[in-house]
Amino acid sequence: MKVIVGKGSCGIAAGANDVYDRLEALSRENPVPGSSVGITGCIGMCFLEPIVDIYPDPDKPDCLRLVHVQGKDAETIWNAVKSGDLAALEPMKIQPEDEAFLTQQTRVALRNCGVIDPESLEEYTARGGYRSIRRILEEKITPEAVIEEIDKSGLKGRGGAGFSTAFKWRAARNSPGEEKYLICNADEGDPGAFMDRAVIEGDPHSLLEGMLIGAYAIGAKEGIVYVRAEYPLAIIRLKKAIKDATAAGYLGDNICGSDFSCKIRIKAGAGAFVCGEETALIESLEGKRGMPRLKPPFPAQAGYWMKPSNINNVETFANVAWIIENGGEAFAAMGTENSKGTKVFALTGKINRGGLVEIPMGRTLRDVIFGIGGGIRGGARFKAVQLGGPSGGCVPAERLDVQIDYNQLVITGAIMGSGGMVVMDENTCMVNMARFFLDFTTKESCGKCIHCRLGTKRMKEILDRIVEGKGEEGDIEKLEDLCNAVKDGALCGLGNTAPNPVLTTIRYFRDEFEAHIYEHRCPAGECRALISYHIDPDKCIGCTACARQCPVNAIKGEVKGVHVVDNELCTKCGNCKTACKFDAVVVK
Amino acid sequence: MSIKYIIDGKVVTAEPSDTILTSALRAGIEIPSLCYDKRTEIYGACGLCVVEAEKVPKLLRACSARPQEGYIVHTNTPRTIRARRAALELLLSDHTGDCRGPCKLNCPAMTDCQKYVKEIAEGRYEDAVNTIYDVFPLPASIGRICPHPCEDACRREMVEEPISIAFLKSFVADKVLEMDPYVIQTAPDTGKRVAIIGGGPAGLTAAYHLRRLGHSVIVFDQQPKMGGMLRYGIPEYRLPKDVLDKEIQIIEDSGVVMMNNMKLVRDITFERMAEEYDSVLLAIGAWKSQGMNVPGEHLEGVIPGIEFLEKLGRGERPLLGKRVAVCGGGNTAMDCCRTAVRLGAEEVFVVYRRDRDAMPAADIEIEEAEEEGVKFMFLHNPQEFLGKDGKVTGIRLQRMQLGEPDDTGRRSPVPIPGETDEIEVDNVLMAIGQIADCTGTGDVAMRWRGTIDANEQTFRTNMENVFAAGDCTNKGAGIAIQAIAEARQAALCMHQYMMGEEVRGEDIYYVKKEVTPEDFKDREKLARAKMPGLTPEERKHTFDPIYFGFTEEQALAEAKRCLECGCHDYYDCRLIRYANMFEGLDPGKYPGEVHHRPDKEITPLISHDPDKCVLCGLCYRTCDQVAGKTLIGLYNRGFATEVNPMVTEADLEFCKNCMKCVEVCPTGAMKSEIPVKRVTEIL
Repeated sequence: MKVIVGKGSCGIAAGANDVYDRLEALSRENPVPGSSVGITGCIGMCFLEPIVDIYPDPDKPDCLRLVHVQGKDAETIWNAVKSGDLAALEPMKIQPEDEAFLTQQTRVALRNCGVIDPESLEEYTARGGYRSIRRILEEKITPEAVIEEIDKSGLKGRGGAGFSTAFKWRAARNSPGEEKYLICNADEGDPGAFMDRAVIEGDPHSLLEGMLIGAYAIGAKEGIVYVRAEYPLAIIRLKKAIKDATAAGYLGDNICGSDFSCKIRIKAGAGAFVCGEETALIESLEGKRGMPRLKPPFPAQAGYWMKPSNINNVETFANVAWIIENGGEAFAAMGTENSKGTKVFALTGKINRGGLVEIPMGRTLRDVIFGIGGGIRGGARFKAVQLGGPSGGCVPAERLDVQIDYNQLVITGAIMGSGGMVVMDENTCMVNMARFFLDFTTKESCGKCIHCRLGTKRMKEILDRIVEGKGEEGDIEKLEDLCNAVKDGALCGLGNTAPNPVLTTIRYFRDEFEAHIYEHRCPAGECRALISYHIDPDKCIGCTACARQCPVNAIKGEVKGVHVVDNELCTKCGNCKTACKFDAVVVK
Repeated sequence: MSIKYIIDGKVVTAEPSDTILTSALRAGIEIPSLCYDKRTEIYGACGLCVVEAEKVPKLLRACSARPQEGYIVHTNTPRTIRARRAALELLLSDHTGDCRGPCKLNCPAMTDCQKYVKEIAEGRYEDAVNTIYDVFPLPASIGRICPHPCEDACRREMVEEPISIAFLKSFVADKVLEMDPYVIQTAPDTGKRVAIIGGGPAGLTAAYHLRRLGHSVIVFDQQPKMGGMLRYGIPEYRLPKDVLDKEIQIIEDSGVVMMNNMKLVRDITFERMAEEYDSVLLAIGAWKSQGMNVPGEHLEGVIPGIEFLEKLGRGERPLLGKRVAVCGGGNTAMDCCRTAVRLGAEEVFVVYRRDRDAMPAADIEIEEAEEEGVKFMFLHNPQEFLGKDGKVTGIRLQRMQLGEPDDTGRRSPVPIPGETDEIEVDNVLMAIGQIADCTGTGDVAMRWRGTIDANEQTFRTNMENVFAAGDCTNKGAGIAIQAIAEARQAALCMHQYMMGEEVRGEDIYYVKKEVTPEDFKDREKLARAKMPGLTPEERKHTFDPIYFGFTEEQALAEAKRCLECGCHDYYDCRLIRYANMFEGLDPGKYPGEVHHRPDKEITPLISHDPDKCVLCGLCYRTCDQVAGKTLIGLYNRGFATEVNPMVTEADLEFCKNCMKCVEVCPTGAMKSEIPVKRVTEIL
């Protein structure tokens, strides 16, 4: 039997290290012949972590999946393994409806995530890894033919812009010059997005193989992975993967005995969101301050050290080996007319089942949120979903049937983005949400161009005023005006897209802005300056729970008597509402 | 291989190395930019150079975009203008500094005080006089008599005392008058003819500017000599008439025709002039003394102050009794009482219905009048002029107290019922105000106070070719420099009108900043120059000028006290040029947090004002890419981004003081201790 602990960052955060360490210790102290303990990367079901999979037959894919496993469960698990009777583990077994989270997905980029040990080259090759690059080199498939295959697949950049991968590769290939570079953008910075981290932590070799194929296609001898320093585990696993692949001859000189040579190295970014913008990333790689360059020239013409360079993101590369293995047509068979293949989303927010979701393009947002994600947590009403993080926009309930498709999403005002999908319910104030994302972009603006440096700042100041109840007539129009100016005038993608959260919230939730400005009211009851807490005398039983939780003693009342909030003292922390078991605390 | 494309309707040839920006400029089309200089790599920060190319969805930054064969590019579309305007409005929302010094901004005529004070400090007297002549042509006269709002605004006050700007002006004008006569440069004749009615400060200023612009100018005046109130309203001891004569001669020498003893209705008709001349300026002043509506006003010995001063101006010496009362608290009242002293009156009273703080007269005038023995009766108002045999003998004065503030912000005087005083007088001089006499101005529209209604921006009246400026318009009588300011603006508008241009005058936007004494706490305290002059006792018996003028030594030291508040690079600053280029630009459109940061020393010779910096990056890029050093860099992000010295003490030797970083700065942010010419290289 094989016991596998999910050791992605999310699993570790939930306690997977403890589970693994104890199981591993038990397996040493109390070995069971034919049984072992191993790890895997992120399975994608964050809401169930830590997860332990038990494979009765390591050669068969069927497994018993245990969820919310704690360190103290290790002994129970190991005893069950030893006895061969897994019935004792039944209480920890995943529920069928939760299992549906995975079974409704189609995994291409994440094909090995949560399945193989990311630190084992053998497990990767056992699942067909490095077969594509070997085939290309052994069968002497030309770079042009490789690009042709990618073209057939219709693969578009998964980092956000959605530009044709084949087009970029061809441009870099055709760009004159001997020295070319292939760069992987792993500076995943959108709040709430963790697709790329999962790939590197869970299946680093698929990234390396995708990069090798890309390097071969464009004629690069060097690849660089620009990973954000906030992903330490990803860096460790990628380093090991590079070392193992080099030792096995998949990296370095004369790969697989061919005359193709390619090295890949890691560059850890220092934590600037804008470095996810390809030209700022190049500046950072060159050791300069991370600020975008003006395009043209495009990186394919003059990128890293002004040499032809190609940049793709992690998820894009993770699809490449699969496409070569299965053919461009197989990839293109999935999806819609102009959006082919699958896309990974990081589903988060007020959702019942959050995690990594990979689905073919063309499914609807409703499908993802209510089908796979199981709807809104706590039975609240769905309000909107933010796609593409701070660069994207929100999609409201009435547009949930939109297909996941680059063009369809743009029509809603949102974008495909890199895959962040933050779900909001009726208790989320959309003005405050827009402010949150703008706060992010304002802080992450590099300061180079006027529109972004000052435009986002001024927009945020207007939003600050609105949520503080100091909005003025004309603020919405001024915001729209400023949004359009920044969209048009900013130098790079960060600035061009920073207004999107504001524009889409104004578009779909203008009434919420108006309520803040004209009625000094926050309909979602979130903006502290505009709300007050009250206790419903008909519901209050005088349990004193609220008064005990109040940090400023603003709630008065006798035991078993109706309590009252003193709004002069109240700091609107919301503790009372959380504490009340009788729904007596109301926000007005 | 060169390509051809169309920009703003022009076919332009571009070489492969060209961008839209460079090829356009070569074709004579300037596209604004703050961050481009060919010596550095393309940067693209400012976004001002955006242009639209047909069939290209995105705006193109002209500094980087390469033109393509067949491109049709437009540089000024609503979309590009909107983007540029937004960029400028955003920049100005966090741009702190003083484009111009507060002295200039507080001068009604916007005389560039800081510039001429600096020129005096450097001994460049002719330059200083030219600077003043750019605005008006009577510096020696105005320097003597101006109540100098410039000095009221002077920030040296926050250190100890304001700069003596007005006297520096008369100092330098005298210096130049002593040398060769000043020659006014005039533009080629335009063939346009202008008539100016009134030869006072407004009329003369307008005549000067219009003549300078090449028009043929004739000035009509009712008095025997030109100068208006400067000659007939201001006593000799304040403004010697030979100084005024010389300055008027300079104007006449430029070709302005001056016709004296020409009074409207009597000698000339306005209607005819409006018909015969391309344009007419009414600058007839305010020559009527305002009545007091007090019984006994028509008694013999009660004289309107203006008439009294006018007589003096004509060289008469009116006889006064021993006891003279002057009613009023303005500068005319001071001129009257001090003249009465000089004419031999033994006791001179100034009767004023408010208190001293509320007196509109200049402080120095009040002080000097007191020194000369004038007595002040504050909070008194004439109730009746008492007389005997038709001749005034005394005044019954109502005692007043201060009540609620009125619309001027001063507390209004109210009578204390039943409390009166009586004084004996031989003469009363009424100096409570002057009003315009607009008899003979035909169909020109009036305001209710009897002044000519002129547009406050263009000074145009209701009649197509008739303009009006100075004391006869709108709010009525004011100070000379105010009339001069209006006349200058009116002259510009008359020029625009005659040349068929849009009549709009001049409306320039400037960035200003707030400072406190705290900002100047490190300054060395240097006393304001004291004007040498006659003693009070000497003054009482003579109409000789009371001031001798600054010595050269005094003037130089005084001029050097200037804090030089206004931006040194105003004339080279591209930000302010662009800010004034866009119509309807609203610098206050995006209010919000504004930086207030101290200057940073980059090297002992170079400093950087982050509040004026537009983060074009030219300084640090030039240091790196042109000078080959990296002594300047950027730090922080977003709104907090700043240019920062990256020099340590040890690195300083690498700076060769090439000053390139200062040279390329598009605003006044980079400053050097030695003069550096700003240069932008596009081609």
